[in-house]
Amino acid sequence: MSRKQTPLRPYFEKMAEIGKELREGEVRRSQANVELVREQEEIIAKEILRVKNAGIPAEKIHQRGGMTIHDRLEYLVDAGTWSPLHSLYNPNDNVEGCTGVVNGIGKIEGKWAVIIGFDNKVMAGAWIAGQAENILMVTDMAKRLNVPLVWLTNCSGVKLMEQETVYAGRRSSGAPFYRHADLNHLGIPILNGIYGTNPAGGGYQGISPTILLAHDDANIAVGGAGIVGGMNPKGYIDEEAAQALIEGTKNFKGKAPGRVETHFDQTAYFREAHDTEQGVLDGIKDYMRMMPAYDPIMFRVSEPAEPRLAVEDLNLLLPANQKRPYDAIQILARLTDNSEFMEYRPEYGREVFAGIAKIDGFPVAFIGNQQGVFPGYPDYANGEYPGVGGKHYREGLIKQGEFVTLCGRDNLPIIWLQDTTGIDVGDLAEEAELLALGQSLVYSIEQTELSMMCVVLRKGTAAAHYIMCGPQANNNNAFTLGTPLTEINVMHGETAAAASYARRLVKESDAGNDLAPTLEKMNQMIQDYKDKSQPAYCAKSGFVDEIVSLTDLRKYIQAFTGANYQNPRSITPVHQMLLPRIIKG
Amino acid sequence: MPELIAPIAGNVWKVLVAVGDKVELDDELVILEALKMETPIYCDDAGTVTEIKVKEGDAVNEEDVLIVID
Repeated sequence: MSRKQTPLRPYFEKMAEIGKELREGEVRRSQANVELVREQEEIIAKEILRVKNAGIPAEKIHQRGGMTIHDRLEYLVDAGTWSPLHSLYNPNDNVEGCTGVVNGIGKIEGKWAVIIGFDNKVMAGAWIAGQAENILMVTDMAKRLNVPLVWLTNCSGVKLMEQETVYAGRRSSGAPFYRHADLNHLGIPILNGIYGTNPAGGGYQGISPTILLAHDDANIAVGGAGIVGGMNPKGYIDEEAAQALIEGTKNFKGKAPGRVETHFDQTAYFREAHDTEQGVLDGIKDYMRMMPAYDPIMFRVSEPAEPRLAVEDLNLLLPANQKRPYDAIQILARLTDNSEFMEYRPEYGREVFAGIAKIDGFPVAFIGNQQGVFPGYPDYANGEYPGVGGKHYREGLIKQGEFVTLCGRDNLPIIWLQDTTGIDVGDLAEEAELLALGQSLVYSIEQTELSMMCVVLRKGTAAAHYIMCGPQANNNNAFTLGTPLTEINVMHGETAAAASYARRLVKESDAGNDLAPTLEKMNQMIQDYKDKSQPAYCAKSGFVDEIVSLTDLRKYIQAFTGANYQNPRSITPVHQMLLPRIIKG
Repeated sequence: MPELIAPIAGNVWKVLVAVGDKVELDDELVILEALKMETPIYCDDAGTVTEIKVKEGDAVNEEDVLIVID
């Protein structure tokens, strides 16, 4: 008789159950919170719809017999797996309302891929400001997760009226071509479905991936055919030059270079050419089936399971009022398989929790901020003040550094649940070495080869936002999510106003002057901080990669985990893991 | 007679009930303010408020009685 089992079963099959059902009274008193969460969700949903409708109407593309980027993604990506990123990203406030690319992570033919395509409704997929940075974030993610990058290219090249915003510079629109070369060098394949006219920048966008599949009407070329006039020796356009341009344009009969007749029939750059748009996508699906991917059984430590406690409770549990504490373990219990968690040193560094959980049966590490008040803690305060949840103290920083280091050894991807107001300050905190311990955590993260994902549940503030693997951890952070309650700023607006204007208040007061003008400035500053910390602003500015409803968090965590274990570059045999043994003692 | 106790020292920011009010398990009765945080005090049993020992703005110590419920 054959017998099979998951590895290290005594540790992983059944971990400690965490969290508890909400009582009727808890549900009743939290209804107002649900409404506040929904208010923010509606703002985000409205913004996303605005971006989706950017450019020419989808109907116009449909009337031409074409598909929009959204149609293409819907056809290409496995149902229920699409997890969009950078939906609202528009750091330069483009008039288009977006950066002209649509991207995210999803499964194609059962395998995870990072997927990006030009929005062909927006200036036929032109290069516009912020787009290159968006693409670099996406290529970085494919590199971090070691999964294929799938492109749907449809790129008309530089928006010529704004060339200075896209063309030149270290991280400009040419940088993705180097990123593609880098991914190829690292053995990460890039599949490219090519549509429409792709001259110049669009041509390199077309040629730089690994496998090129084209629609029959597509072309890629060093330059377009549309440039009918060269440099005018006069250096300006007068009536005579304009007439010459008009004549030249009217009489122009040339076809765009780099068509399928050239790059399929002659050069054979294109592996496939399809007479339908769907055909190109079917071709990508065929290639995705060829991609390397372990069967999940290789790395699972138990059968996948939904959380025992309802994910919908998250809208009741996470207070919209940023001054309210909550039980962070109740949040975690709505995210992990079976609501189970194996906690690392729970009595040490109480302001943070760390430990191992399962997501879809894969082992994953979680680190997050606890909330509330901790009387008698930290030790170094000698009772002068109590510890407060969301802040970091000596023990918590040491615990996180230790845990991250052990996760690196055990190859456990880490999900950070941030809700932090900062690191303790003052002479006692300096004597307790918090400055060095914060940087020590940064060092620990950087020393690992791990993929990490960060969720800013509510507050991401001060250096604590950095040290808890915020997006600044460029080599480890695959992506960062915000929620409808996210607020990211260096400090609270009131604190900033006090820091900026306290001396002036003293001066005005001593001089017997009216304080009103200074107070007005302070209140303006507070409002400005508030406006520029809101979820939609965070998403637009790239502080986070996406704002996700609380009930969708687990879906993104599943995507991150599944992608991480699809084709890992480094493996720790589960039976040789150290962390579960350390936790058990 | 059940008593609601202050879990931490702080100031009483809001008293949300009056003497004679019927209260349910998990109702929010008082909000303390300390360390830039609001700490809500929830009812741990159903009953009637018989005495309120604090008023808004009062400073309280840890384990001070805030409200008595019958």
